[in-house]
Amino acid sequence: MGKPKIAVLCCNYTNSATYEDFKDFPCEIVIKRFPCSGSIEIVDILKEFEDDAEGVLVCGCEKEKCHNKTGNLRAEKRVLGAKKYLEEIGIDPERAQMAFVPRLDTGAFVETVKDFVEKILNKDEDKK
Amino acid sequence: MIVAERRHLSEILKNIEPYNKVLILGCRGCVAICSTGGDREVKIIATALRIARKRQGKPLITYEATLIRQCDPEYLANLPELMKDAEAVVSLACGVGVNLIADLYPDIRVYPGVDTLFFGANTQLGVWQEKCRGCGDCIIDLTAGLCPIARCPKNLLNGPCGGSQNGKCEVNPENPCIWHLIIERLKARGELDKLNEIWEPKDWRTYLGESPRKRIREDLIKNNKREG
Repeated sequence: MGKPKIAVLCCNYTNSATYEDFKDFPCEIVIKRFPCSGSIEIVDILKEFEDDAEGVLVCGCEKEKCHNKTGNLRAEKRVLGAKKYLEEIGIDPERAQMAFVPRLDTGAFVETVKDFVEKILNKDEDKK
Repeated sequence: MIVAERRHLSEILKNIEPYNKVLILGCRGCVAICSTGGDREVKIIATALRIARKRQGKPLITYEATLIRQCDPEYLANLPELMKDAEAVVSLACGVGVNLIADLYPDIRVYPGVDTLFFGANTQLGVWQEKCRGCGDCIIDLTAGLCPIARCPKNLLNGPCGGSQNGKCEVNPENPCIWHLIIERLKARGELDKLNEIWEPKDWRTYLGESPRKRIREDLIKNNKREG
């Protein structure tokens, strides 16, 4: 069995991380960048679960720092919406999370992803 | 608009359990406006159903389409073509759309993806409130535009029931007592004496007596090219 997959859907302006930043992570990190987190749809989150992600983290800019004013708040609502579907499917809704991270601070972004990965891997460990 | 609410996925999954290929059919009318059955919801529900079936070990193939309206035979005309490879359709339209599909295409297995709730207004983002019951005999010209049939849980026609407190409904204190609002509004307009007039008994046949109801406009039928 391969490494568990974690998908990170993020606003392009939250970081400039590369896969090199995640090379030591005990899982496969898939990063998908969007022009703004507000353009991330519920279906984008669900599709990652359809493609076997163990967890999906949506990263938007910190509150009141969104270049498009409220894109990050919209993203937060979409994550809430996705959780409802996950619950009905029988997937732990905590496997989809929203995070607000500083703009263009790759270090903070990588740390946020790391925390999320730990939470998800702990869940998987509990499942076993 | 007609306001609808998505059914729990388990209900939809139960209906499509025997099938492997299903068309998820949205509607760009009311259900799109109330964020229940438009293009966006078609994509979401199709994806959610596929995930659920994948987890059950019975993968599902979905086809996705959204019609301009499902309550009009004209827009449903290409449904057989859309159904070419599908065994069943989950319609995200209101009950009108589902019924019309069932009427027009008896061989197509159609299942509702939403529950149809009421005629309502989008009073704030994410909130829809019932404003009309479609009773067919409007009295809102007498009640300052506020409908006691739709907005009083007791459907009272002769004033407040006496149970309201501080202008709030006793059945659901989150709601205003609509009769309280009617009286306050008429009083402010100096038209309270309107309520002293004796109203004709309400004609409930237009709501309950002649089901299913039908509206006919002879002039449109006569000029209808399809008929002619």
